[in-house]
Amino acid sequence: MATIIKSYEPTFWDKLYIPALVQGLLVTFKHLLRKKVTIQYPEEKLIPPEGYRGLHRLNKDANGRIKCVACDMCSAACPADCIDIIPGSSPWDDGKERYPVSFEIDLLKCIFCGFCEMACPEEAIELTEIYDFSDYTREKLIIDKDGLLDVYDKTKDKNYYSNSQNLTIKE
Amino acid sequence: MPLLKIDDLEIEVKNGTTVLEAALENGIDIPYYCYHPALEIVGSCRMCLVQVEGMPKLQVSCNTFVGEVPPERKVDGNFDMVVQTQNDLVIQERKNILEFLLLNHPLDCPVCDQAGECYLQDYSFKFGNAHSRFDEDKRVRPNEYLGSQIVINHNRCILCSRCTRFTREISGTSELFVDERGYSSKIAALEDRPLNNLLAGNVADICPVGALLSTDYVHKNRIWNLQKKSSVCQDCSVGCNIDAFYQKRKIFRLNPRENQDVNGYFMCDIGRYGFHRFEDLERVTRPLFKSNGIFSEISWDTAIEKIGDKFNGAEEKVAGVLSPFHTNETNFMLGRLIKGIIGTFPHIEDEEITYPSGFRISSDRSPNKRGMHDVCPSIVDDLASEINDKEIRVIYILDNEIDKEIDETWNKILTKMDFIVVQAYAMTRLAKSAHLILPGLAPFEREGTITNDQGRVQWLRSVLPNNGESRPDWEILNLLYKTGERFSDINELMKGMGEQFPSYSGMTFFKLGDQGLPLNGNLKT
Ligand code: SF4
Ligand code: SF4
Ligand code: SF4
Ligand code: SF4
Ligand code: FES
Repeated sequence: MATIIKSYEPTFWDKLYIPALVQGLLVTFKHLLRKKVTIQYPEEKLIPPEGYRGLHRLNKDANGRIKCVACDMCSAACPADCIDIIPGSSPWDDGKERYPVSFEIDLLKCIFCGFCEMACPEEAIELTEIYDFSDYTREKLIIDKDGLLDVYDKTKDKNYYSNSQNLTIKE
Repeated sequence: MPLLKIDDLEIEVKNGTTVLEAALENGIDIPYYCYHPALEIVGSCRMCLVQVEGMPKLQVSCNTFVGEVPPERKVDGNFDMVVQTQNDLVIQERKNILEFLLLNHPLDCPVCDQAGECYLQDYSFKFGNAHSRFDEDKRVRPNEYLGSQIVINHNRCILCSRCTRFTREISGTSELFVDERGYSSKIAALEDRPLNNLLAGNVADICPVGALLSTDYVHKNRIWNLQKKSSVCQDCSVGCNIDAFYQKRKIFRLNPRENQDVNGYFMCDIGRYGFHRFEDLERVTRPLFKSNGIFSEISWDTAIEKIGDKFNGAEEKVAGVLSPFHTNETNFMLGRLIKGIIGTFPHIEDEEITYPSGFRISSDRSPNKRGMHDVCPSIVDDLASEINDKEIRVIYILDNEIDKEIDETWNKILTKMDFIVVQAYAMTRLAKSAHLILPGLAPFEREGTITNDQGRVQWLRSVLPNNGESRPDWEILNLLYKTGERFSDINELMKGMGEQFPSYSGMTFFKLGDQGLPLNGNLKT
C-alpha cells in the first residue's frame, strides 16, 4: 500500500528564518564554553582504553627470549590468513625445543580480531594499544619477528603513548 | 558364518575376525593404540575395551575373536556375540584409560610434531577428561637418538610397543625393545645395533603419538598447513604407494600409503627421503640453445623448428635415448618418433634387499624399466656401439637421474655428435653437453603411468606445479610430430598406446585409481 507523504508547508513564523538562526547559534556558543572533546592529533595522542586491539607484539620470557614456540595455532585461528611462520629447532638446549625462525604478519590483511591472541597456548602473541602504524608501502606493513619483538619492548611498560619519545611524528 | 551384533548393527563376519576389525570395517569407531593391521596382536594398551555380553569384565576388542557357538549358547537364540561399544561403562573406562596414559604425558602438543594427526590428542579430545587429577611431578626424560634419523621423546611414549614389534616382525632386525619394567619401562635400541635399517622411517609413522620422530621432519611444519596428494615412489622398480605432503612448491615429507598388492603399509628410507635430491636444483625453465658454448633462451616455436630441421636433414640417422625414469607415455612417444635407433643408457643397479615380512627394495633403482621395454620393444641392447656402427650424428635424449655420471664411451660419442637435444628439468651433466635443452618436468611434477617390476601399472600423480615455461614431457614430444599425428590429450595418448600394445589397452586414469592395475593378461602370480 502506498503511503502519501504530504510535503511540509512552512508557516509565516518559519519563513522569518531569524528564530532558527538564533537557535543554532545558541548551540554553538554553549559549546564554546564547554571542555573540548577533540585533540590535536598528531601532536597530541589519544590513549586507547584497556583491551584495545591494535598492533601485535611477540612477548619475551624472563630470559628475554621469544616466548613463541611456533606452534602455528595463531595462524590456524586467523580468519584473515595473514600470519606466516617458519618453525625450526631452537638454538637453546635448556628445555624449549622449538621457536619461530621467521614470523611475519601482514598488517594490511589483518582485521585485528584478536583471535591469534586467544588461540596462543603460550601467551606469546598479544595485541597492543598502538593504532598509528601507517606507512607508505605494502612491504613495510608486513611486520617481521624483530619488529614484533621491538613492539614488545616499546609497550611492555604500558606507557607507549604517555612516553614522549613515541610522540615524535614519523618521517 | 557367525552372526555378530555390535551396538545396533547385525553383521555376519568370518570365523576368527576380531571384534575391532569387524567394527572398523563397518564404520564403528573403537579407539585403539597398540593394534596395527600389519603387526602381531598384543592387547596391551587397553584403549579398545568393549563390553561383550556374557563376559564378566570389559574385553579388549583387538584380541577378542568372533566364532560360531553352539545353538544353546547363542545370545537371544540368534547371535554368536553381542558387543556394546557405546554404553556408559565403556565410555567411563575409556576416560580412565586415557587418564592413565596421560599421567606422565607432557601436555606439549604446541611443540609436538604429531599434533594434528595424533591419536592421543584425538581420543583425549573425544573421550577424555578436560582436567587432570594428577598433582605429582611428571616423569621427565631427555630425548634420545635411536638411530641416525629417529629420535625418541620418552615423555610422550605410551608404550604401545608398535615400534618394537615392527623391528621384530617387519624389518626383522629387532633393534628396539622395552627396557626395564613397570614405571621405569622405556623404549630403547640395542647398544651395538642402533635403529639404522632401511625401514627405520616407518616407526615414526606407526607410532600413534609423537614419541618417535624422524629428524627429517622435526619442527619443519604443521600437518594442517600441508596438502596431500597420493602418488607413487620413483626410487626403485617396486613402486611403493605414497602420500606426498607439500606446501606451495615444497615437499615436506612422504608417507607410505596402503596397497596390499605392492608395499603393504610401509616404504623404505631410500624412497622416503629421496625427494630431497630434487630440491635446490638449477632448474631449466625455458628452452635453451647453445651457441659458442653459451646457452641462451629461445622460444618453444624456434626450438621445435630447429629440431625439425635437424631431424629431416639426418633422416634415419637419428638416435633416441629412452629413460626408465620417465612414464610409459613419454617413452612411447619418443620410441614412435625416432625413425633411426632407440636405446637407453646403461642401467642403475644396486643391492636387492628383501625383509622377512616380504617387503622388498628392488635392485633396479629406476621406477619404470619394465614399462619402457613394454612400450618400446625395439630398444637395442648396446646403443653405444650401434651409434658408432651407423655413424649417427643427431641424438635425442630423455634425461636420466640427476647425478648420473657420463662414462668414457658416452663422452666420446657425445663429442662426436652434430646435434644433441636433451629433454631435462635441471642442468645435469648431460644437459650441459646438449646443443638444445627442452625443459621438461621433475619427478614430482610428472603425470602418467609407470609399470613396476611385477607388472602393475600405477598412475603417477603430479604433486608440484610446473615451473616457468616447462611442459609435460609427453607434450614436448607431441609437438615434434606432424600436426595430424599428434594426440589431443593424455587420454588419447593412452588409448593410442593401448591399441599398439594390447596389454596396456583400456587403461585410463579412473580405472587405475590410486591402487593401480596388473597388466592385462600378464597378472602377477
Ligand atoms: S588479529 Fe585476527 S586477523 Fe589479525 S593476525 Fe590476529 S587472528 Fe589474524
Ligand atoms: S600461537 Fe603463540 S606460540 Fe603458537 S605460533 Fe602463534 S604466537 Fe607462537
Ligand atoms: S615409541 Fe611410539 S610406537 Fe613405540 S611404544 Fe612408544 S608410543 Fe608406541
Ligand atoms: S622400496 Fe623402492 S619404491 Fe618402495 S619406497 Fe623404497 S625405494 Fe621407493
Ligand atoms: S588396541 Fe586393543 S589393547 Fe591396544
